[in-house]
This record gives sequence, C-alpha cells and structure tokens, in this order.
Amino acid sequence: MASNKKVLLKVIILGDSSVGKTSLMNQYVNRKFSNQYKATIGADFLTKEVTIDDRTVTMQIWDTAGQERFQSLGVAFYRGADCCVLVFDVTAPNTFKSLDSWRDEFLIQAAPREPDNFPFVLLGNKVDLEPRAISAKRAQQWCQSKNDIPYFETSAKEGLNVEQAFLAIAKNALAQQNQTVDLYNEFPDQIKLTNTQRPSNGSDSCAC
Amino acid sequence: MDEEFKDYIDIFSQDGVLLKQAPSSFIPFINAIGTIYIWSTETNDGTRPIKRFLEWKPNDVTIDSDVQDQEWAVVNTVQKRSRTLSGNLPADHYNKLRSLKINFEDIKRVAKKNRDLTFFDGSSEPMCTLLFQHGDCFYFIDLLKTYLSVGPSRRDKNIFIVYDADSPEYQELNKTFAALDIKPNDSSFWTMFKNIKEHPYESSLMAFSKVSTYVYRSVEPGNNDILLNDDLQRSLSEIDDNITHSGGDYELVQKPPQLPKRKEFPRCKPLREEQWKAQFTCDGKLEDVESIKTLIFRGGVSPKIREEVWKFLLDYYPWDSTLAEREALVIAKVQEYYDMKLQWKSFTKAQENNFSDFAQRKSLIEKDVNRTDRNLDFYAGDNNQNLQKLNDILMTYVMYNFDLGYVQGMSDLLSPILMLIGNEPDAFWCFVGFMNKLISNFDIDQAGMKDQLGNLFTLLNFVDPFLAKYLETHDCANMFFCFRWVLVWFKRELKQEDVMRFWEVLWTGYPCQNFHLLVAVAILEHERSELMGNDYGFTEILKHINELSCHLDMDLMLNKAEGIFFQIKEADHLTDQIRFIVGLPLIGNHCTDSHELIHFDSPDCLVSSESHPKCSVDRVSISPDEISFDKSIQSNFL
Repeated sequence: MASNKKVLLKVIILGDSSVGKTSLMNQYVNRKFSNQYKATIGADFLTKEVTIDDRTVTMQIWDTAGQERFQSLGVAFYRGADCCVLVFDVTAPNTFKSLDSWRDEFLIQAAPREPDNFPFVLLGNKVDLEPRAISAKRAQQWCQSKNDIPYFETSAKEGLNVEQAFLAIAKNALAQQNQTVDLYNEFPDQIKLTNTQRPSNGSDSCAC
Repeated sequence: MDEEFKDYIDIFSQDGVLLKQAPSSFIPFINAIGTIYIWSTETNDGTRPIKRFLEWKPNDVTIDSDVQDQEWAVVNTVQKRSRTLSGNLPADHYNKLRSLKINFEDIKRVAKKNRDLTFFDGSSEPMCTLLFQHGDCFYFIDLLKTYLSVGPSRRDKNIFIVYDADSPEYQELNKTFAALDIKPNDSSFWTMFKNIKEHPYESSLMAFSKVSTYVYRSVEPGNNDILLNDDLQRSLSEIDDNITHSGGDYELVQKPPQLPKRKEFPRCKPLREEQWKAQFTCDGKLEDVESIKTLIFRGGVSPKIREEVWKFLLDYYPWDSTLAEREALVIAKVQEYYDMKLQWKSFTKAQENNFSDFAQRKSLIEKDVNRTDRNLDFYAGDNNQNLQKLNDILMTYVMYNFDLGYVQGMSDLLSPILMLIGNEPDAFWCFVGFMNKLISNFDIDQAGMKDQLGNLFTLLNFVDPFLAKYLETHDCANMFFCFRWVLVWFKRELKQEDVMRFWEVLWTGYPCQNFHLLVAVAILEHERSELMGNDYGFTEILKHINELSCHLDMDLMLNKAEGIFFQIKEADHLTDQIRFIVGLPLIGNHCTDSHELIHFDSPDCLVSSESHPKCSVDRVSISPDEISFDKSIQSNFL
C-alpha cells in the first residue's frame, strides 16, 4: 500500500542569516540564482517532485529567517519535519560556530521521536567565494561528531553540488519517514492485548 | 455480527465528517471525509435492550489528492498518537468495508472542542476524533444525549460524561428527586423522570410543568417545607443544568451575534499641496491638525509634499511647532545624528574585535543592506551611495538603541523613508519615529509579535467567527502566516508606491489603534472562500498568503478595514477585549471570548501598547458621514 501512496517529505533549511538558504532552495527547485533575494521574513516553502528508487516523492522545502530571535517561531514550521538541512557559509567562521545551536534548537522545537537518529544534512555553501575560512576537513569532523551527518560543499550561485545534496536530503528524509511508519505499525499488536483485558466487552455486545 | 447488522436501522446520518484521529488500522483514512451514521435495533421488544452504535464511513474508498497533499500533516499526527486502539476495532470483514464503528455501550466520555468530537472509552486514550466540517455537530450531540445518560463534566462543560446506573453521579441525580419525598409508587412521575434522562428535550418541558404542579399542590408553608423547597430548587436546577440548557453552550457558535451592516468607505484623493499649505499660520504652525490627519487617512499625501508631511507623521516635527522651532530642532537633531555616527565610525579594528555584540550587529546590517530593495533603481547597482546611507543610518540606530540593535525587517522599514528623504540625518530621525511606533515587533522574545498575532485572531474571531473557527480547527490560530504582514506593516506585500501610501495612512492613527490588524482581518475575510473552500491547512494557507504579495488591492483593503472598524465599534456585543485592542474606552465588560489573548491587568501589556499609535475615542472624529465632512474640508481649502 505504501508504495502507491504519494509521499511528501518535509525538509527544513536552517542556518545563520545570509548563508544562502533561500538561494540553495531556489537553485534546487527553480535552477535560478539571484543576488537580489531579500532577507526571509517569517517562512516560505517550495515543492519539488523527485524520483528516488523508482518512487516519486514530493519534497516540501522550508526556508526560514536566519536571525536568532525569530527562532521561537520555529515550532510552527518545524513540526512534522522529515529532515533538517543545516547550512553555513564556508567563508564566515561564525556561521559554522552556530551550527550546534541550530541543531540543538531544532531538536528541542521539532521534538522528533528519536533525536539521535533524526536525519540532518550539512551544507557548506559559497565555495565559489574566497577566502575560505572553514576547511572541508573541519566540517567533516563536526559531522562525524554528530553521528555521521552527510556533508556537501555547495555553491548555490553556480549550482555546484546542489542537486546531489538535495538528493541525499530526500533519501534521508524518506528513510526517516519509512522508519516512522514502521514504528507506527507496531502499535496494533500492543493494543490488541489491552483489548482482550477488557472484561466489559461481552460477546453479546455489538463488538463493532 | 452480520446478522446483528441486518437488524439495525439507520436512524441518523450526516455527511462532511472528517476522521481526525482513529485506531492505527484507519491511518489511510485519517483526514478523509465521510459520513457518520447512528444505527439502532429496530424496536425495544422487551426481550433484549435496544442496541445502538455509530459508524463512520469514508465517502470514497480511494484517498483523494487533497488528503495526499496533507500527507506531511498526517505523518505528524501519526507520530504524536499512540495506542489509540480500543475495544471497538472492526472485525476483519468489516475492515474491508473500511468503516469505523463504535458501540454506544463503550462510549464513556465525549469531548467537544470546536467542531471536533472525541469519543473515549474507559481508558485515557481516545477511540476516535471526528471533525464536523460544516460546524453543525449540535444536532448529533443532542441525539447522543437522547440515547445516552450524559451530563456535562463538572470540570469542563465541553466534556460529556456517560453515567453508569451505579455511578455516584447517577445516584446523586436520583437522590435529589427522591428527596422530594415523592411516593415511589407514583409511577407517572418516575416514568417522566426516566423519560427526562432518555429523551431530555422531548420530556423536559413536560417534566417542568408536572414538577411545578406537584410543588404547588403539595408544598404547604412550614419549616420542613423550606428544606423540601431547597431540595426541589436543587433538583430543578440540576435538571436545568444537565438537560434543559445543555444545548446552550453552543449558542454562540450556532448563531453568532450579528455585526451591524458594513458601510462603504471609498478612498479619497491624496492631500494636495494647496490644502497642506493653507493649513499653516503665518508663523508656520499647523492650524487644524485633526482635519489634516483625517484627510491623510482618507487618501494619503501627494508625493509633492510627502517629505515634509512625513516628518510630522513620524514625530520628527512636533505637530504644534512653529517654523522657527522646527528650524532650530533640525539643527540640533542633525548635530545629534552626526555625534552618534561618529561614535561607531571612530571604532578601531581592535575595539571592534573586542566588542563582539557590536561586530555582530555590524555584520548583519552589511548583509541585509546588500539585499534590501535592490530591484528598485534607487538601490540598484554596485557601489550605490544610497546603500551606504542605508547602512550608516542603521549603524547609527544601533548606537542610538544598542539594546535593540539591528533586527531583520528594520532595513525594510527604513528603505522607503530613505528613498523619500535622501538627507541622512532627517531620514534617520523619521526612521526613529517609525521604529517607536512598532518597536515591540522586534522584541528579543518576540512577545510583541505574539501579542499582535493573538490580537489579530481575537479581532478576526469577533468579525468572522466562522473563519476564525476554521483556522482554529486547522491549527492556524497562531496566525503565523500573517507574521510578515505584521512585522513590517505589509512592506513585502505592496508595491513601493503603495507602501508609502499605506504607511502614511496608518501613521495618522485613524480611525483607531492597531488599524493594521483590521486591514489584516479585511484581507483574510476577502480570501476566506479561497481558504475554506479549498479546505486549506496551515501549509496551504501560508503559501496562499505569501503569494498574495504584490497582488493586494490596497485601497479596497483600507475601505473594507474601515468598514470593519465601524461595524466593531457599533456592535452591541462589543467586549472590552476588543475595545482594548482598537483603543476604545473600556466599559468593564470583560472578555467573553474563550481565547485568553490579552491580559488587561498586565502592566507589560499596557506599556507595550504605548508603542502603537494611540487614539482615544474622543479624537475619533470620523463617522459614516466622514466623506461629506471630507468634502467640506476640501471645499474650504479651494
């Protein structure tokens, strides 16, 4: 049944202001880049259909405001996320330093069932720019320390690695969703047990 | 089972019922729309008790695309829910029919929340939740009450408890009647009492007449009789509470109080130069400030005089100042501006490195300046001097109000001001004036924004309760999809020229405080059929609202919003909660609304409201006759 169902994957992009969240989303969905994107206020999303292992899934990619004080809104937007994409600017060390707090804040607000196994993907954006402040090695080390988060170096401006990164994001999100469904499907058995423990349900009642 | 099923007859059905929560075997039908039925054994032939159950069936076996679009929400629902199976799971062959059945005997509790009905058996986990899309579950509840011995919970009137024959509540109900000392063999009375429980609506009036007849006939003056009388009163009020008025809880939803008819408030022409000039006395003082503000509210300001008018509207120039006073003020303010600018300009690199709070603000401003209205000629191109001015004003504002610093959205507020007033110090002080009006939007904890979105919902609930209920049942009562509207006063939604017009209209503070929220109400009301007709959820509503950007008819929205204000103001059921939001005097009629969005006695609330344009009712000189008033002013100027 599941394979016939249209699958919707909710992906949240987080990271400091001006690391390129809106640009990455637009490059991936519309294959367009503009340096005139305004700072995101509130939240917005774009959708894109992708095929993964012969399954067509719809990705709903959420772009949010980067300034810290707008994080308290997150709870409304993070809900039901299947994957979280963390973005930093490889030329701006502070945006790398904030990754921990973005990750922690997401886990607090989205409250996924299994925080340790929730899929994150890290993107080091703006690799077209110089000088570089955060090396690939340093970013990878961070990823390893966080339960082996996949890492991609991207340039939203040049469309570099964007497609590959989002494909990985989609796969991780899909895996997360399948896992959730599996977990969920375990419930009927558990509950049948409580059902039989109910003495009030006599055979003469309409056990519909 | 099949045999039993044949014996049942359909005694009630209602379409448009959405399955919101159900046992896991019904996951594919979560959010599907279906029909609810009540089935019953045909007659009570005395050999066995009447049996009834309710059944929900999806309209279509296949899941329609709307449901699929909400898949992410469905997944979310799944994650949150656990162990929802009850003893009422359909048997396998019924499962094939894809219908959910609940035996009446298993219903122990029914909770009503807006248009949701949740059924519970003895456990704390619900059996299922049904959403009555058309908002009319009242008849259904009434019917349930007829068939089940239900009474509202003492803790929550929206929870109905099904009493067992041996429950204390049931006993108590019986006892109160027994205390009347009615002869047990008075079979007609007990039949009536039984009927009241079984058929409250049909029997209650009859019950009343009979009980009162009994009282009048049998109660004679005397001490015992006073006690008896008390018991009787208690019994009567118990009948009253439990049965007669139980439908009254929903009166508001069923029949919302009507607002007065909405009037049209067509927009007028902008304030013209000659009208403006004619208002100054020989020493350069404005004569009739209220008339001027009224004209600006009605039609905005002609671009020719906009720069000067904005300096008044943004509290740079005091409204009662003379020309000489303004000239002196400008000299002082220009000096003050450059003093503050020098403070940050003279920071050394080392100072900056050791002052990370400052460096962070500086970096954020740089990033945002580079992406503020770059599509407009005024800010287009590299090395544009106007970008430098934008940057410098925002940096100086950081020095002026370091605690607030720079928050995203502020560059949007400054951009049109700088475009109009190219002079840096003047633009700065006008920007300060604008910031003072909505500084709470940028609170570090976002409290100001949350208050405003809460107030927006309260206003919407008053003006269009049906839409508000819709939003509430679709997890949208937080109004987050209006966040951008409120944060930067529709700056991102309107074209540049419209932004300028819209802001100057709002800056007048007419016709009431928080008028921008009424504009938001007007837009939402304008979009209501789109939102509700398509059964949009939070995601779709957010998308729809975001896509309204640059497609809003500002004049129409202002016209509607003003109409809404007068509807509110003249409404018979106007509450203090609404009065507080729009700045009308309070009359001690506290909130009758269930949403606690404003705490009247909170000093914080009062303090934060100071940042909004205040306008006491005495100053509201606009009436439905406004247009003729407006015309008379115009003709006076000619």
